Amino acid sequence: MMRKFFVISFLMVLLLPIMSGCWNQKELTDLAFVMAMGIDKGEDKKFDVSFQLVNPGNVASGQNGGGQGLPIAVYKSSGNTITEAARNATKMISRRLYYSHTNLIAVSEEVARDGILDMMDALDRDPEFRTTTQIVVARHTSAQDLVSALTNLDKLPVNKITKELKSTEKMLGENIGVNIDDFLAGLVSDGKNPIVNGYIVHGKKEQIGNAQDLQKTIGGAFLEADGLAVFEKGKLIGWFEHQWARGVVYVLDKVQSTGINVSWNGKKHAITMASIRSKTKVSVHFKNGKPLINIAIEDEGWISEANTAVDLTNPQVIDKIDKLVEKEIKRQVLGSIKEAQKMKSDIFGFGERVHRANPKQWKKLKGDWNNHFAELDVNVKVDSFVRREGIRTSPFWINMNK
Amino acid sequence: MSILSKILKKKQKQRKDDNYRQQQDPQKPEDLPILRDYKENISRIKGEFGNSNDIVIREFIHSKHRGALVYVDGLADSRVISDFILESFNENEIVADEIDYFQFMIEKAVALGSNKVIYNWNQVYDSMLSGDTVIFLDGYNKGISGETKGWEKRAITEPSTQLSIRGPKDSFTETLRTNTALIRRRIKSPNLWIESMKIGTVSQTDIAIMYIKGIANEKIVAEVKERLNRINIDSILGSGYIEQLIEDQAWTTFPTTYHSERPDVVSSQLLEGRIAIIVDGTPFVLTAPAIFIQFFQAADDYYSRFDISTGVRLLRILAFIIAILGPALYIAGTTFHQEMIPTTMAIAIAAQRENVPFPAFVEALIMEVTFEILREAGLRLPRAVGQAVSIVGALVIGQAAVQAGIVSPVMVIVVSITAIANFSTPVFAMAIAARLIRFVLMGMATVLGFYGIMLGLMFMSIHLCSLRSFGIPYMMPIAPFNLRNQQDVFVRFPLWAMKYRPMFISKGNVIRSGENQKPGPPKQGDDTQTPKGES
Repeated sequence: MMRKFFVISFLMVLLLPIMSGCWNQKELTDLAFVMAMGIDKGEDKKFDVSFQLVNPGNVASGQNGGGQGLPIAVYKSSGNTITEAARNATKMISRRLYYSHTNLIAVSEEVARDGILDMMDALDRDPEFRTTTQIVVARHTSAQDLVSALTNLDKLPVNKITKELKSTEKMLGENIGVNIDDFLAGLVSDGKNPIVNGYIVHGKKEQIGNAQDLQKTIGGAFLEADGLAVFEKGKLIGWFEHQWARGVVYVLDKVQSTGINVSWNGKKHAITMASIRSKTKVSVHFKNGKPLINIAIEDEGWISEANTAVDLTNPQVIDKIDKLVEKEIKRQVLGSIKEAQKMKSDIFGFGERVHRANPKQWKKLKGDWNNHFAELDVNVKVDSFVRREGIRTSPFWINMNK
Repeated sequence: MSILSKILKKKQKQRKDDNYRQQQDPQKPEDLPILRDYKENISRIKGEFGNSNDIVIREFIHSKHRGALVYVDGLADSRVISDFILESFNENEIVADEIDYFQFMIEKAVALGSNKVIYNWNQVYDSMLSGDTVIFLDGYNKGISGETKGWEKRAITEPSTQLSIRGPKDSFTETLRTNTALIRRRIKSPNLWIESMKIGTVSQTDIAIMYIKGIANEKIVAEVKERLNRINIDSILGSGYIEQLIEDQAWTTFPTTYHSERPDVVSSQLLEGRIAIIVDGTPFVLTAPAIFIQFFQAADDYYSRFDISTGVRLLRILAFIIAILGPALYIAGTTFHQEMIPTTMAIAIAAQRENVPFPAFVEALIMEVTFEILREAGLRLPRAVGQAVSIVGALVIGQAAVQAGIVSPVMVIVVSITAIANFSTPVFAMAIAARLIRFVLMGMATVLGFYGIMLGLMFMSIHLCSLRSFGIPYMMPIAPFNLRNQQDVFVRFPLWAMKYRPMFISKGNVIRSGENQKPGPPKQGDDTQTPKGES
């Protein structure tokens, strides 16, 4: 009995290597990590796809002597679908393309204007792809430029973009991280349109990907986050710039910290309040069957600059600053809402709110929501509050004028 | 005294059992009686031992009687023999009309602590080989066995494997009697019973079973005795022999009996109702039944405060998991699940593996086997050379192998962490089991990745749950789960809260401490504690 068991199990163990063949096994050294993919409009085929591959030996520091060559290599191939392009790329690359660590999808503005619906399913369906991959639009440049740019602070150029988006979202609030998941969620929703970050190349474009450019403290060409792209039915229809972009981020309740400038006694940009906490509540009311949007923003911050003689020890002054900041935030938010209404694109998700608040009414509005949105009444109420003044009470200006 | 006589009776009964077993064996000399002619007795001894020169036969004439004393040089203390037997003969001459000469000898002339009358040759050999002196008197068909045991023994030293920081620093030695004394000194109760037997048809090794009557489960005591009695082997040269012959499940890498060289540990086991088996010639005392979690309990857990002990114990369990899984996780992570490694780390590992010619499994195997060889060599080599080996090992593994591009630095880290983690298991037997399982899991990880590791772990857990130690489930308070016995599993409860002994071991008598043992500040109004005048 026991003996038979052992004989059988031994035979089964002998069979194991033949049967499995090490299913799905892939050595680390046989993989090419695709860090970023840039998608441009192709010449004879639909897409030109640029793959930013990492060259591990040149990235990792330490004994094996990193940093001799370039950290990345970019290969470009074309295809009518993303998969076709990826398979065509294998003709040029010695290793298996591996997408699990892909952190960035860059789409050229050209492709975005034509519509990016045809590439989304490939990104959504492939088991290796993460739907947390960031998606950006390359503005005034090709996506290939974006993925082949070298950066001097981050060894991996892709980190520059993904980390930058995170940090600017935290510190400035003009861009927000948008990944494939967010984009698709916006795409399929009736009452919300997706937005995507824009990226531009500053300086000389021909310097892109040139290693000598890294030898300078100010690179000849560098990347910068710029604006928010608005999509309607998968097509790019317009851009939100700086302060209007911040208004969008305020409404979406994604502002973590930012700086608001206000004038004081006729001096422009005299006082800056840095937000430290912000909370936005959007509610819907109905008046005669017409929806009315109420936006309530609670903002808390500290005075990070006061470039004028202002007595910050006086509570009334602080109250006044509160009011000014409220006004400024309200201006930005209303401005961005107006901008969106001009584009007839509901990027704030007001439609979803209406749907939730009154599903019956929504059914009537749904068909022509874009036009309804353009004429929507929006009330904005901002409640700002100066929590502290930094490590000085009144600025030196007060003593200067004495 | 009645208890002592009981023990003696049991001993005699045990003797009989032994004799019975010895008769079964055709190689044993027959159970012949001692002859009246002492000369014949002497020549018989000479014949039996083949004139071995460590057999000392000293003939004497005392009070006009002839006789001889026989002992084994080296086992018996010759100074005791000359001072308390031969010297005493000179001082105690028999006066004419006194009692029987044999009686006189046993009561007066042989001035030793313990004198026994022996009748047959088995007893003669037994006494001689235990270091006692046998005295034959002419004209009597019986002899006297006087206790003169006194061989060279190792002094009680600090334990060499199970070290402790705050605990006692003594450890067992190779001498059975010293070992029982070390335990008796800790448990001063007549209920601490010792039963002895001899196992090994040739070696006749002394074995003592120790337990606390009233705490130990009688059924388990009977079971232990039965299993020991079943053993029929030529020799027992260490407690490891016994361990392997009385296990419940032979096909397992996990130890199902506990062993310790610390008297305090064995005492605590006895107090929990376990049974200790002491083997003469081994400084490691076996205790049974053993449960899995016991191998992660170190003596210091009970000497330091409970929060620290709990933390350290959890750390030990974590170390055990690392010791099992370390290289397997590395293999699975780098060959199957690259997406599970954070990007920066994946690239760093990829960079290091760039120049390594072997697949991850081979790389891991090379390093693990090299380390195991070094460890084994370190154990066997003479101490003076051991130093050299560790230097060579550190250089070969740590530096040269990496520089030569045979293995990656990450692999060196994984192997080192695994090795160090392995050493933190308090009991060596469990650490060795982890070593073996590690290789199995490495193979599983190579073939099936994390899935394979999970399969391996599941197989291991099922196996662990199926094990038993003297009828007690091996994973006891965890599976089957028992809430009341969780006092000393993952969390070591404060001593004042550990009210019960493990109930699955000592079935009846489980109360360890009284109520309200929690210490605290003196109650208000208690004048004896706070001198009011001073404040």
